[in-house]
Amino acid sequence: MSRPLAVLRPALGFPAPIQASLSNGCPITLLPLADASVVCMEFWCRAGSLEELPGESGLAHFLEHMVFKGSEGLGPGAFDLKIESLGGYSNAATGFDEVHYHLLLPPEGLGLACELLPRLVLQPSLEPAAFQLERQVVLEELAQSEDQPEELAFQHLLSQACGSHGYGRPILGLKPDLLAHTPHSMAAFQQRNYRSDRCAVAVGGNFDPALLLAQLEAGPIARLGRAERDSHRGTINFQAGHQQLVLPRLESARLLMAWPCPAAGALDALMGHELWATLLAEGRRSRLVEELRENLQLVETIDLDIHPLEEGSLAILEATTEPENLPRVIKAVQQVLQGVQGGISAQELDRAKRLLGHGHSFGLEATSQVTHQLAQATLQGRLLDLDAPLHRLENWDLQRLQALAPVWDPAHACILEVLPA
Amino acid sequence: MNQLVCLPQPGAQILAARLVVPLGSHLDPPGRAGQQQLLAGVLTRGCGSLDAEAFADLVEGLGANLRCEAGDDLLVVALKCARADASTLLPLLLQMLEQPQCASSQVGLERDLNLQALQRLQEDPFHLCHEQLRQQLFGNGPYGHDPLGLAPQLASIKPDQLKQAALHLPQACAQLVVAGDPEASLLERCQARFGQWSAAAMPEQSVAPNPARSLALLAADTEQAVLMLGFRTVGLAHGDALPLRLLQVHLGVGMSSRLFQVMREELGLAYDVGTDLPARRRDSPFVWHLSTGAERLPEAMDALYGEWQALHQAPLAEAALALAKAKLRGQEALGRETGSQRADRLALLLSHGLPADHNERALERLASIGPEQVQAVAQRWLLEPSLSVCGPASALVKAQKRWDQCWVQAPAPVL
Repeated sequence: MSRPLAVLRPALGFPAPIQASLSNGCPITLLPLADASVVCMEFWCRAGSLEELPGESGLAHFLEHMVFKGSEGLGPGAFDLKIESLGGYSNAATGFDEVHYHLLLPPEGLGLACELLPRLVLQPSLEPAAFQLERQVVLEELAQSEDQPEELAFQHLLSQACGSHGYGRPILGLKPDLLAHTPHSMAAFQQRNYRSDRCAVAVGGNFDPALLLAQLEAGPIARLGRAERDSHRGTINFQAGHQQLVLPRLESARLLMAWPCPAAGALDALMGHELWATLLAEGRRSRLVEELRENLQLVETIDLDIHPLEEGSLAILEATTEPENLPRVIKAVQQVLQGVQGGISAQELDRAKRLLGHGHSFGLEATSQVTHQLAQATLQGRLLDLDAPLHRLENWDLQRLQALAPVWDPAHACILEVLPA
Repeated sequence: MNQLVCLPQPGAQILAARLVVPLGSHLDPPGRAGQQQLLAGVLTRGCGSLDAEAFADLVEGLGANLRCEAGDDLLVVALKCARADASTLLPLLLQMLEQPQCASSQVGLERDLNLQALQRLQEDPFHLCHEQLRQQLFGNGPYGHDPLGLAPQLASIKPDQLKQAALHLPQACAQLVVAGDPEASLLERCQARFGQWSAAAMPEQSVAPNPARSLALLAADTEQAVLMLGFRTVGLAHGDALPLRLLQVHLGVGMSSRLFQVMREELGLAYDVGTDLPARRRDSPFVWHLSTGAERLPEAMDALYGEWQALHQAPLAEAALALAKAKLRGQEALGRETGSQRADRLALLLSHGLPADHNERALERLASIGPEQVQAVAQRWLLEPSLSVCGPASALVKAQKRWDQCWVQAPAPVL
């Protein structure tokens, strides 16, 4: 692989992460921490739900379940049993852009983890009987999520905002598709996406880097070939608009608003949006919380979160209110967003920078947290010093941030009013 | 006796602190369910000369995280901040409990927010099922309601009542645990002030009698049915707490656990299945939970019944017990990585009057616990099941039938 590796520095009390790659180019990032009491290993792959072709919805997530049903010579549950017998813990998660597998265990377990996890992830058995049974489990997971009206509302907003783009489709999949999947179709998805140029590994904790690299090189990750074609890099065709949704079993009304934001790779631009979201809705002195919850007392909660995504991030506002107050909430949000067009203060910017900067440092306290960040950055080819976000914050002054204000015009937003039936 | 303990992390740029008083929601007076959580929320709305706005300005302006919550047993103030800001914020934690403003307007706002949160929680079938189980296990006594309270009672709490409750905050049995690298002089100043605390304890509420075996059904128009099987067990300091913890880990922690293996891996009944055993001062509830398609509710009940019976009828296999011990040791190691985690667990132990090395001692005792002892503990504490089910009305009819057919008859306690 020809990608030049940036020279990394020690930062925030951590040593410089070691960058390496296996003989087939698969990137590995290691963070040896001599006094850590645990080791964390993360395997990431660009095989999220975005990679699903028509009819494949839910396959990325279903495959993540099937991985734990065993591999050759490793029966269903055998992996969990071995890891948990060591006092370790494993988990996995499927997103739109990526899937990742996570292990946290005492240092003496790393050798075994390093032998078993790549086999499990890259050579799943996909036995028909286990496949049928696990489909039931996935269908129960879907039913459980659909019994939460808040989840339904959120999914509705995404499909309204993102239209036919993959981000508008539920990660858990559509029921008819789930019922039609076969071990064969899953294997095809697996072989198409779990490739050397679409995977990354990061390990943090107390271990010997040379030994670990040798072990990974001897395993199945190093034998992966490259993907047959590049992953598509499209963008969301964001759809602004205003809709209503009526849901049974909803008790409080919701106002959901989404705005398009720069893609996850546009680090600097996205930081500007993060600052705005903090200034608008983080803490009691933020504009929206202060006005809607503290002064007008119209909402129970109001949040504004940036969801970084590879093909176009989203800023999503969610407010909880009494149904009869919903029209007033919409109006008040509009007024606050118009108000900030007139200017923000130096004090507000300073407060937002501190909240974001400390939030970043606070979020790297545990070995698993820092390993998680390193693994994702490695996969997406943007591994930087751990304190890089703090430097990026300094790029933003009042004038530059103020110029971004028009982004929050409600006319650019996708708005969903959600009301109880 | 008040204690200020520092868990030193030389050079750490982050400081975590926990200030804990034994004033959780178990002390909510009759007719005022939700009082202690309301009080906890109001503590972040002004103290000393700082009104709500100035308080938020100070804390958020320093980019700090500050939470204040009442759990079942404890009222906890949790802080995470930059090391340099500790000299401002640690004294502020003490002042929150010494001189809370409890302004009427802020009490009213916080009360309305809690009422709305209670209403929103009604959307969650797991919450509904759990609240029903609390009633079964604890009636109207301590632990019988969520710390947020019960809507009609919460709505009736007056600012003056909250001010009275606030007088109990600077207690002589408060604990302050700090993890990080604070200046020694700062700790000395805090200790001098903290040592003066001497407020009277709040009156204990009477405990509901032991629950009888019961089934409770709640109709909801959902796809799945949520099942929670609960038992009232012992407090953290009780000799049976450790074998019970082993049972909980065996049944419901991790993918190798018994309930996960049976309910999910063998039967494909559920996605989410597990067990909870929150560490309480007394009567910790041991809860087994899962949610399954409504049409499979009777099958899930049968499977739960089988697992409950099995614990009574035979000792655990040696291998299963060894696995549970390994998982418990692992949990201990993985759960004390960060300063916040270590401060949390130490504050909890000290608040319950346990020694700081309680967990290490427990791990040493693990080796001597055999399958027969675990079985005896199951026979002692898992005798009378309370089953709470929330789901579609048609499924509930079948649940009642299943209960009448087999759950009503006791498992012959093997004594």
